[in-house]
Amino acid sequence: MLEALFQPTIIISMLAGMVRIATPILLAALGVLITNRAGIMNLGFEGIMLMGAYVGFWAAHQTQSIPLAILAAIVSGGLMSLIMVFMASTLKVDQTVTGIALNILASGLTFYWYRVAYKAATAQVMPSVEIMQRVEIPILSQIPVLGRVFFSQYLLTYFAFLMVPCMWFFLYKTKYGLELRCLGENPRAIDMKGINITRLQYITVIAGGMLGGLGGAFLTIASAGIFVPEISAGRGWLAIVVVIAGNWLPFRILMATLIFSFLDAFQLQAQSLGVQFPYQILLALPYVAAIVLIIVSRARSEAPSALGVPYFRE
Amino acid sequence: MTVLGLRFERREKVSRRWQFVTLALAFLASALVSSLLIIFARASVGEAFAALFAGAFGSWKAFLETLVKATPLILTGLSVTVAFRAKIWSIGAEGQLLTGAMAGYWVGANLTSLPPVLLFLAILAAAFAGGAVCGWIPGYLKAKLRVDEVIVTVMLNYVVIFLLSYLLANPWREPAQYYHMTPSVPEVAHFPVLFARSRLHIGFVVALVSSVLVFWLLHKTCLGYEIRGIGLNPTAVKFKGVNVARVTILTMVISGGLAGLAGAGEVMGLHHRLKADISTGIGFTGIIIAMLAGLNPLGVIPAAILFGGLVNGSNRMQILTGVPTAMVYTIQGVVLLLFLSARAMAMYRVRRVRNA
Repeated sequence: MLEALFQPTIIISMLAGMVRIATPILLAALGVLITNRAGIMNLGFEGIMLMGAYVGFWAAHQTQSIPLAILAAIVSGGLMSLIMVFMASTLKVDQTVTGIALNILASGLTFYWYRVAYKAATAQVMPSVEIMQRVEIPILSQIPVLGRVFFSQYLLTYFAFLMVPCMWFFLYKTKYGLELRCLGENPRAIDMKGINITRLQYITVIAGGMLGGLGGAFLTIASAGIFVPEISAGRGWLAIVVVIAGNWLPFRILMATLIFSFLDAFQLQAQSLGVQFPYQILLALPYVAAIVLIIVSRARSEAPSALGVPYFRE
Repeated sequence: MTVLGLRFERREKVSRRWQFVTLALAFLASALVSSLLIIFARASVGEAFAALFAGAFGSWKAFLETLVKATPLILTGLSVTVAFRAKIWSIGAEGQLLTGAMAGYWVGANLTSLPPVLLFLAILAAAFAGGAVCGWIPGYLKAKLRVDEVIVTVMLNYVVIFLLSYLLANPWREPAQYYHMTPSVPEVAHFPVLFARSRLHIGFVVALVSSVLVFWLLHKTCLGYEIRGIGLNPTAVKFKGVNVARVTILTMVISGGLAGLAGAGEVMGLHHRLKADISTGIGFTGIIIAMLAGLNPLGVIPAAILFGGLVNGSNRMQILTGVPTAMVYTIQGVVLLLFLSARAMAMYRVRRVRNA
């Protein structure tokens, strides 16, 4: 039975699955990355993604328009992280507890809103939306293997993967990127230079949350077409894990994301082929892998030094 | 810093009165948000609140059921209190509750030849141990390998849910049932009920006793002093010769064990079998309860009764006014955020400035 998993066609569809599954985690991880670079540890990304997933679904259901749904999800992610940055930067509340509170809020609010908006929904009859169409890139999608894996995907997937080099360029080759990295390392130096720290933190954290909301929307309007409570299923946490495992470096974060997505694609494929193995253990695989990864990735050389530390002007 | 012409200045000392005022404002704001949520569901605010209150505290019977709901919340609230006191941000109470429930169930289903009192104690011990193991893992990783406890506890919650789902689908499954669940445990293992015609079981007493014990542990013992110490100033405690790694691990073991006890109560006192849905976020609600109680083990009791009342009353509210019970979970997030802001605001003085 296991040989079936290693046939070429299966491997190709597994790899294509990996790229698709990587999309929401990668988007959120890039959001986590810039948030951390601004010196703020936002543990609310699970809630931000869940909110984006629901709001995106709801907007798509109301308007039948994918662009509007994406816009709504981005706004919801921005609003959630506005709460985060207000608490962390203005009120200087403990960031860990604030992040947890955001997750609890999103979990309750999405569930409540879903129940109010879709009173007739049951486990058998669930409201659904038309999902995004895949876009085959001309010529490139004709390349054997690579074409199926990388160039017959959703627009959001292309966007997510293109964001990785863009983020690298922004952080390491622009003035704003330098300021941002400096903010996470030594906020006092940035303050002395006369740069408005509060403003920079607000902009960055909100932009990060927007990426998280966008990642969440992918789950409902590109993958599932339906909303179920807790649909984010830990992906916001995985986004934080890949940032740590990727040592806060854009390309390493991409690698870590692909490792997780491959595990997930593998278990999905194994399940659909009916491999004789308890599927619950396969489902637990990414979470066990996350614990292992967080244990082995102890070289935090690139971690922003002022991460999670509120800045007070003397 | 200046926002919209308002300047926030840090206060030197926080007055009690100002603390009280900000807290009262937080509760008022929570009530306001609740009202908005009810209006959003197109129900009458007055009717919904009346139903919520009547369902929670309106009669002796309703009150007893509120205490039923508060029982596991007290224990998970204590679990979070112990960990947070040491500034260990454990979010693992949900998973620890489930491993406790599994261990308690196994003893209750298999050691039925024991005398009832011994069996009861064995179930409690097993549940405590089951939760403690699940708390030990992040504790050990944090103490010895400096692994972040937040992520490990969150990930363990997911792993435990899949473990439970595996056990219920395969080795422990009652074959005749359509839904995945274990057979009912023998009656001798059931937790006795405290009042006739109610569901309030001895687990409530266990929870109350635990509160007192945790208070005693934190405030009257050497270990408790060290737990609070690593929360307040880990460097100072280290220089005093305290083994921080050992205290960290012990804190997580105790925290996990307390959550495990909650699992035993739910299985042996209420459902009398193990099911996938024995906990609907009881572990996460524990975080809010602990924070509202100001991380005071005795304060956890009224906070848990308040939230137990909300959970209980929301059923009546849903039946009478159609407002979904999920409102309670939304309110939990709102209350926690407002409570945190209120505490922070109490430390600031707001001044209007002309030139920002």
